[in-house]
Amino acid sequence: MKKAIIILILLALTGFVYAAPKESVHSIEIPLIKTELKSGAGKEVTEKFCIICHSLDYITTQPKFTKAQWSAVVNKMIKVMGAPIPEGDAKIIEDYLALQYGSGG
Amino acid sequence: MTSRNFTRRIFLKAAGAATAMAAIGKFPNELFAMPERMATFPEKTEMILLTSRPPQLETPLSYFRELITPNEALFVRWHIANIPTSVDLSTWRITVGGNTERQLQISMDDLRKFEKITYTAVIQCSGNGRGLFQPRVAGGQWGNGAMGNVTWTGARLKDVLNSAGLKAGTVDISFDGLDGPPLPTVPDFVKSLPADKATEEDIIIAYEMNGRPLTMLNGFPARLIVPGWYATYWVKSLSNITALTKSFEGFWVKTAYRIPDNDCGCITPGTAPKKTTPINKMTTRSLIVHPAEYGELVLNKPVEIMGIAFSGGYGVQDVSVSVDGGKRWEQARLGEDKGKYSWRQWFYPWRPSKAGKYTLMARATDMIGGSQPFEGLWNPAGYLWNKIEKTEVTVK
Repeated sequence: MKKAIIILILLALTGFVYAAPKESVHSIEIPLIKTELKSGAGKEVTEKFCIICHSLDYITTQPKFTKAQWSAVVNKMIKVMGAPIPEGDAKIIEDYLALQYGSGG
Repeated sequence: MTSRNFTRRIFLKAAGAATAMAAIGKFPNELFAMPERMATFPEKTEMILLTSRPPQLETPLSYFRELITPNEALFVRWHIANIPTSVDLSTWRITVGGNTERQLQISMDDLRKFEKITYTAVIQCSGNGRGLFQPRVAGGQWGNGAMGNVTWTGARLKDVLNSAGLKAGTVDISFDGLDGPPLPTVPDFVKSLPADKATEEDIIIAYEMNGRPLTMLNGFPARLIVPGWYATYWVKSLSNITALTKSFEGFWVKTAYRIPDNDCGCITPGTAPKKTTPINKMTTRSLIVHPAEYGELVLNKPVEIMGIAFSGGYGVQDVSVSVDGGKRWEQARLGEDKGKYSWRQWFYPWRPSKAGKYTLMARATDMIGGSQPFEGLWNPAGYLWNKIEKTEVTVK
């Protein structure tokens, strides 16, 4: 209860001290553009992990890869780009990508 | 998301779509099976949307009819998700330090006090044309629109380094910007240049593009300009410059942005390179801008074939044009020369006197004899694209 009150007070304060934009500040607002992945087994797991770091058009704009190529991409995301994907989920993602965005090879 | 900042254009392979394709003019046939999305981002015009987070926006071909690419149409490419969207110039500083006599905190006012350098230079993504590679490769599927020709103004990097007292024994200099990784495990985007390269006269920290402040998405408030080299080194929204006494070991130089270490930067398609080296100078290339792919021309009506050509900082000596698929070549007229780092427009008057299909080609040669290959050279990351393009048109 006490914690909740403190948080409320902090929120109120943040709102209160929010200043009008200064002349020295340059700001933009990036539009939110949603990309829908194809339905299929593994779609939710794929979305859940991939979207941590990038929009889903990073998947949909890629060429149709073989299963081995998609596995290499997922592996690169984990080993090189630091994606926190557990092994079991990585397998689900690879299967999903190969089936929905693959060359069939 | 609203229909104002996001539209979807779907192109079909059907012959009826040829006119629409000519109007936009971009990819060869086989890529048109993919929908092309357009989007309007802040301070930018409607551009081809590759990805939205982090954003990658491609310049529509029609803008290349101009010698200077307008700020709002210049391509956008960020690597990691947390890109700067707000900068307060009263607190923004570039920290210059490492192997230097003193550490500096350089404000915009400080930067503007250095000697002001202005020149026009092509900015081109290493992966420009990646979408044209065969066999296809992973990565941003750019057509030819990840490039532009911009007049940059800024302070010499060398002058800034000297004001900090760059010390002997500096091997590399690293450059970091305000963008950050979405997770601590994701490698931050930091680049480096060898010290002798970084202290060349022509490398600047630019705070203006075409006489105006940089757009946020192109690296406000200041970015590095390494003319003649691919834009991977042109670090945006600069925040840190660090002199290093050992070679830089960061991911984006040691692992990414590397090319096969041989004369062509190429290998047999589908194989892996034995040895690699960091990408550097741009290869010499040209592009036919008008008429666009699948354009329809009128029999006996004069048309001026027009395009651009540039090199890795040597200037353009010659552009030759063929209207018969490469059998006969003739010299094009070169346009205004804005220096060795700028692209050069070229023009070739033509009056087609027979109906039918034609294959237009253009080939640039730079001042040291470097030119373009007839077949695409391949490397696994899809860099250095400079194949002689074929533009198919129909005369009726």
